[in-house]
Amino acid sequence: MNQAIQQILTQKLLALADDELILAHRNSEWIGHAPILEEDIALANIAQDELGHANIWYELHQALTDDDPDELAFFREAAQFRNVQLVELPRGDWAFTMLRQYLFDAYELLLLDLLQHGRYQPLAQACAKVRNEEIYHLRHTSSWIKRLGLGTEESNRRTQAALDELWPFAQQLFVPLPGESILVDEKIVPNLGRLHESWLERVRPFLTAANLIIPTNQTPPTKNRSDHTNHLTTLLGDMQKVARLNREAVW
Amino acid sequence: MTDTQWPRYEVFKQDNPKKPHEAVGSVHAPDAELALQNARDVFVRRPSAVSLWVVKADNIFTMTREELEANPDFWLKISKAAGTPTTFHLFTKTSQRRSMTFVRHAGQIEAVTPELALREAIESGRFDADDVWVWWVVADEQLIRSGEDDIDTLFAPALDKTYRQQSHYGFVSPRRQKHGRQEK
Repeated sequence: MNQAIQQILTQKLLALADDELILAHRNSEWIGHAPILEEDIALANIAQDELGHANIWYELHQALTDDDPDELAFFREAAQFRNVQLVELPRGDWAFTMLRQYLFDAYELLLLDLLQHGRYQPLAQACAKVRNEEIYHLRHTSSWIKRLGLGTEESNRRTQAALDELWPFAQQLFVPLPGESILVDEKIVPNLGRLHESWLERVRPFLTAANLIIPTNQTPPTKNRSDHTNHLTTLLGDMQKVARLNREAVW
Repeated sequence: MTDTQWPRYEVFKQDNPKKPHEAVGSVHAPDAELALQNARDVFVRRPSAVSLWVVKADNIFTMTREELEANPDFWLKISKAAGTPTTFHLFTKTSQRRSMTFVRHAGQIEAVTPELALREAIESGRFDADDVWVWWVVADEQLIRSGEDDIDTLFAPALDKTYRQQSHYGFVSPRRQKHGRQEK
């Protein structure tokens, strides 16, 4: 692999990993707070899966850079994270969390469908396992969005409010990294523009059928994965706190 | 105060294709589809499974040995209902030894009502009725089942998890370290 490809591939892997890590943390905040016990367990399960996926991408990243995944997770500052803003927003209400997870799952599953046929074998092979879990996540979140959208006046109102807020943020998932076209040309990762079209074809009719109105604003708040809201700083303060108490501690 | 609790569904898990479905506990859910999903999350995130069934608790006809003994004329009160027989599943508890599992799937009977299905089951001699402590009877159409297609996404991911069993944690005990047992 030439150096230019390797450099952009490591950035891509870090972006994939950071999205999953931060989303996993936001979902984990529901532990002990979900509306019913069964959902508490289900969402903790989803959070743990996403954390597992993050770990897979960090390990692929490590194979190319030698960066320790724990170092990346616990000892970087907010500005060094490469996640989209969608995943760092506070967890909101149940509708907000479910809708964010649904929008992300729909994106991730389509991405994995294509990534698993990519030409970088370690990445392609890792997709198979992750994909089975994502199929289940999407089934779970789809079930919920359908019921929230078509449920009561209140559940529809809350889900619509979540969609109005999340829709522009979700579009950032489809903004390629600077230089990502090299990976597309090498058939290592799919073209995000086309992935975006597939995603819209999938989520638009689904959300409409759930009695939700697709917002017209489709402009992501930023196109740069180095830009973050202050929410990420708060989140990291919580997530990194224990690890930073004693850097030498063995777990 | 109104009851805001969702209906309860009983969950049956099949560990492998050679074993019967066993009752493992219950979940609450607003409908059957979510009951099946909740059952997956609550009961098979780590243990092995190849199939899950759920049934709304209200749709289970139950009878214990004590109830039968206390009501010896129970059978006389059953009206000989007319109608087309349908399939009922019989679940039985035949041992007091295991506290975690309750009833297990024992077979099926064609009958018009669950009461008649139970009577037929006892009289048929097929179910070792003398050993049965508890009977559950469920109409086939009330059972919601996972499918073959679900195995890869509902059950297979559990097999790769690191912390599958409680015993996993035993491997890092100080005693093991002291005695120099190699960790994996």
